[in-house]
Amino acid sequence: MGYIGEGILKALKLLLSGDPETYSAILTTLKVSSLSISTSLIMGIPPGFVLGYYDFPGRKQLRAFVDTLLALPTVVVGLFVYALISKRGPLGNLGLLFTIPGIAVAQTILILPIVVSLTATAVSQLDMRFKDTVLTLGAGKRKVALSAIFESRYGVGAAAISAYSRAISEVGASMMIGGNIKWHTRTITTAIALETGKGDFGMGIALGIVLLLFAFIVNWVVQLLKRKKV
Amino acid sequence: MKQTVLYKIVHLRHSYRTGFSLEIPHLTISKSSSLGIVGPNGSGKSTLLRLLAFLQKADSGKIYFDGSWREWGDPGCRLKVTLLCQEPYLLRRSVFNNVSYGLKVRGEKRNLTGRVHNAMRLVGISPEKFSHRRWFELSRGEAQRVALASRLVIDPQVLLLDEPTANIDRKSSLMIRKAIEKVRESFHTTVVITSHDPVWLHDIADEILRMHDGRIAGSGTDNIIEGPWVPDHDGLWTKVLPDGQKIRAMKPPLERAPGVLSSTNIMISTRKPVEISAQNVLSGVVRQIIPVADSERMQLEVHVGGVPFSCSVTRYAVRALDLLPGKEVWVIFKASSVQWQ
Repeated sequence: MGYIGEGILKALKLLLSGDPETYSAILTTLKVSSLSISTSLIMGIPPGFVLGYYDFPGRKQLRAFVDTLLALPTVVVGLFVYALISKRGPLGNLGLLFTIPGIAVAQTILILPIVVSLTATAVSQLDMRFKDTVLTLGAGKRKVALSAIFESRYGVGAAAISAYSRAISEVGASMMIGGNIKWHTRTITTAIALETGKGDFGMGIALGIVLLLFAFIVNWVVQLLKRKKV
Repeated sequence: MKQTVLYKIVHLRHSYRTGFSLEIPHLTISKSSSLGIVGPNGSGKSTLLRLLAFLQKADSGKIYFDGSWREWGDPGCRLKVTLLCQEPYLLRRSVFNNVSYGLKVRGEKRNLTGRVHNAMRLVGISPEKFSHRRWFELSRGEAQRVALASRLVIDPQVLLLDEPTANIDRKSSLMIRKAIEKVRESFHTTVVITSHDPVWLHDIADEILRMHDGRIAGSGTDNIIEGPWVPDHDGLWTKVLPDGQKIRAMKPPLERAPGVLSSTNIMISTRKPVEISAQNVLSGVVRQIIPVADSERMQLEVHVGGVPFSCSVTRYAVRALDLLPGKEVWVIFKASSVQWQ
């Protein structure tokens, strides 16, 4: 048990002393996850709105397909993106392999179904009277759509937070696409995997604490939104 | 004064899967008028308002608005016509942002705060106290008034109100009436209101229509007598009231056909008449006496065996017969006064 205690002690030292290697992994994680969450929100909210708001042939099947994608294994996404962006792949000339944008592409594919599905759920749960109300107040098609997303903002916010949680805790795709390169593409999760393998529990625990802190903040924001929703 | 037609409905028909259908062969609504619509639940009042608001597509028929045929969803019309539903929905934002929504979607930013505050004051909602309140921090009556303010702020040409005073407090009901009177006076807004409250409607409407089973069944003061009718002697048919009294009428086209009895064809007596040719002499109790605006007549609501009858009498008759709510009276009319649609 002694090594766990030593590990925690070392973790606190690393965090409090501002150890550059630890903070590099934290910063990379924040960069990658911010990039992937913003891209997935821009790409995911409009189709999520269409899927939740309009009734069209094949809507249910499309929804079932999106919901299936929620269970996408990260290593499968990693494999797929790797095949696409490796030197021999169709997008090899973009030079994305072993880069932060490369990891962000994989994470975006991974969390896009979460944004689409949860946005669709939030929009479909809008009060039936919403549409009549905004139409009768003079809103055109674009304003109706924007107002619907604004009215579902707590649900869409929860979708964003769930997607973000998945992005920061993901390890498989980041490892495969990023290559876990020190000072460059090493994220919190890939660093923990590596350090644990090496038997260096101190850095693993330090990064684990930061990851838990992120998870706590994210959950706290979700609770805050739920309370605000009333 | 010549009245200009704002709405003209021609052969309008709309059916639901439930079997209910709205059928209005012809209806005109004048500019700046105030039309009241009464009728039981499910008579088609709300459907008619939704069609007038261009929110719903009719199965067939045409609605002309301001001289031109307009299709449902017409964006130009939807900027001029607004509808307040019975259970209004407030957007999930502050009271101020709810009221200002209509102005913002129109891109009208000039004096936005002043206009929003004026609309709020018009419905008796203090801007200082309520502007920052959120949508769920309001009573039912306050929410209804905020919803009305958000429609009034856009200066609509037509204001459609579906049961605006149902299930709200007396103060809110009074405030809503005052606000409607004010916009009619100041902006000559055309108003169409449905209501279950005849007193409220008589005060505010120039004309009242009665709807029954998806059709316009005469004016608001007409009585609808539902079937079934059973054959009686001398070629007359009878409808039995819950207390056992019988209404006699001429042969109906169908056993379940609703009969229309004009309130002006009813006589009231405080003593039971004897040796009278009228086939219907029914015992009832006066429930309400409603003054009719700009008229020497009063509308009397008499309950006969639990069924309300609307009777038109002169103010003189009310005084001479000493008619008061609770007084027992006799309701008299001929069998031939019950008309069939």
